[in-house]
Amino acid sequence: MSADARARSEERLILAMGGGGFTMEPTNPLLDDFVLSLTPAKEPRVLFLPTASGDTTAQINAFQARFADRLCVPEHLSLFRLADAKSPLAATVSRQDIIYVGGGSMRNLLAIWRAHGLDQLLVGAWRNGTVLAGLSAGAMCWFQGGVTRSSGPPEPMPGLGLLDGSLTVHADGEPERLPVWLASVRDGTLPGGWALDDGVGLLFAERTLQRVVSSRPGAGAQRVDAIAGELVRHRLEPELLGDGPHGALGGTDDAVEELRRVNRLRRGIGGGRG
Amino acid sequence: MERDSSLLDDYVLSLTDSPRPRVCFLPTASGDADHYVVRFYRRFSPSCEASHVSLFRRDQGTGGVEDDLATHLLAQDLVYVGGGNVVSMLGAWRAHGLDDVLRRAWRKGVVLCGPSAGSLCWFQEALSAFHGAPRSVPGLGLLPYSNCVHYDAEPERRMEYHRFVSDGMRPGFAVEDGVALHFRRTRLQRVVSSRPDGSAYRVEPADDGVVETRLNAAYLGADTQAPPPQAAALPPGGRRRRIARLPAPHKAGATRTAGPEPLPA
Repeated sequence: MSADARARSEERLILAMGGGGFTMEPTNPLLDDFVLSLTPAKEPRVLFLPTASGDTTAQINAFQARFADRLCVPEHLSLFRLADAKSPLAATVSRQDIIYVGGGSMRNLLAIWRAHGLDQLLVGAWRNGTVLAGLSAGAMCWFQGGVTRSSGPPEPMPGLGLLDGSLTVHADGEPERLPVWLASVRDGTLPGGWALDDGVGLLFAERTLQRVVSSRPGAGAQRVDAIAGELVRHRLEPELLGDGPHGALGGTDDAVEELRRVNRLRRGIGGGRG
Repeated sequence: MERDSSLLDDYVLSLTDSPRPRVCFLPTASGDADHYVVRFYRRFSPSCEASHVSLFRRDQGTGGVEDDLATHLLAQDLVYVGGGNVVSMLGAWRAHGLDDVLRRAWRKGVVLCGPSAGSLCWFQEALSAFHGAPRSVPGLGLLPYSNCVHYDAEPERRMEYHRFVSDGMRPGFAVEDGVALHFRRTRLQRVVSSRPDGSAYRVEPADDGVVETRLNAAYLGADTQAPPPQAAALPPGGRRRRIARLPAPHKAGATRTAGPEPLPA
């Protein structure tokens, strides 16, 4: 499909989540619906990359469970089962409106992407207006660096650098990560950046933070910088999705419901691949 | 551990010279698939000190071995590498430094084995094939040859391997399912098979194509007496066949050229 045949985002968007979405919030679709709302495509093509987990069936099933009956065309790409792939990597990536990256090992994620050349394909997709989204390792990977537990204890690690600064995730859910990140920012191993609780997402337009959203009341985020060797912490108040006037959900009108029903019927039973 | 390959598992265990060998499983190429890990323990834990290393579960304390991976792997009698995607596996290994650890283990005398991706990884060059785009992948280079697996599973495999070798991929070995190459240092010692009719082939370039030499495999189910080493491996026991350069209908630019493609760091 040629690029101009699709509705493209005017800006390059990345949604980086500290945790949440279909793998962590099976009964809370707020962040995932927000992801779908980021593209102007009426029926967006959504590619899930479960690489960081080793392509676990659990993540792939959770993805299908969340997106199969939404107004979109979901598919996943397993770099461990490429024999099942229907098309070359470049073609699979370039036809997407949204690319959604799951959590797991950041070290393995980046190493395996690089081994297949997928990192460059993703950068190209971002430049062409494909929305990038992800949680945990799938969020930190877009920044200059993050804090990974890929080898057990938390440690700083460089990312792809599409976004300036560093990111640490699960600030509430995995409290041992945060002190390592703060120390790394203080000593300059990592640039200043953001710490996100589970359920919080940062939306970047180009390289600028545009919105801070959350699927959970009480979840927070902070911006931290090292200035003259001292940490300066600044708390960010996320907007709660699905509730206020800025929520992504809004009302679902009858026409959209109808379209979803047709979509489900057309796709038939099953929807996805195993 | 593959289907019907307990004969090959028994054979590789016999190489360790230990009554209860220490065997570590690396399921990286499958993405550390749980069912594969379970199958490994079912097969090996009754007779071995079995362990595994998961490079995807190290944060959760369910990665099998959690401490110093190098120390653990260097203390094994046998390292068993599972099948799956060889490119993904080598990428993850390099990120965790396992490529160097495995080289050291090999020099130290740890027996290394594995099917499919677990075979390709030891060679200088591997023919990796997926969704119709075969390519040369640089392996760890312990064995200075190329390797092609599942040689009988798909007819294109053989044709593609011949084309790669005639175009400059280093000479090497093609192996059918159920057949194993046993190397000692870098020399082929034996070819063994869990099937009565399994074969391996030596494939070398020739002026106008390749020469494919069939290597007779010792069927491991025939009797329990191990034949003497070097019984059946190399010519003159084999049959040589000269194969003219094959037409290359899909020859398309760089993807088909020979020579290792450097993996990004």
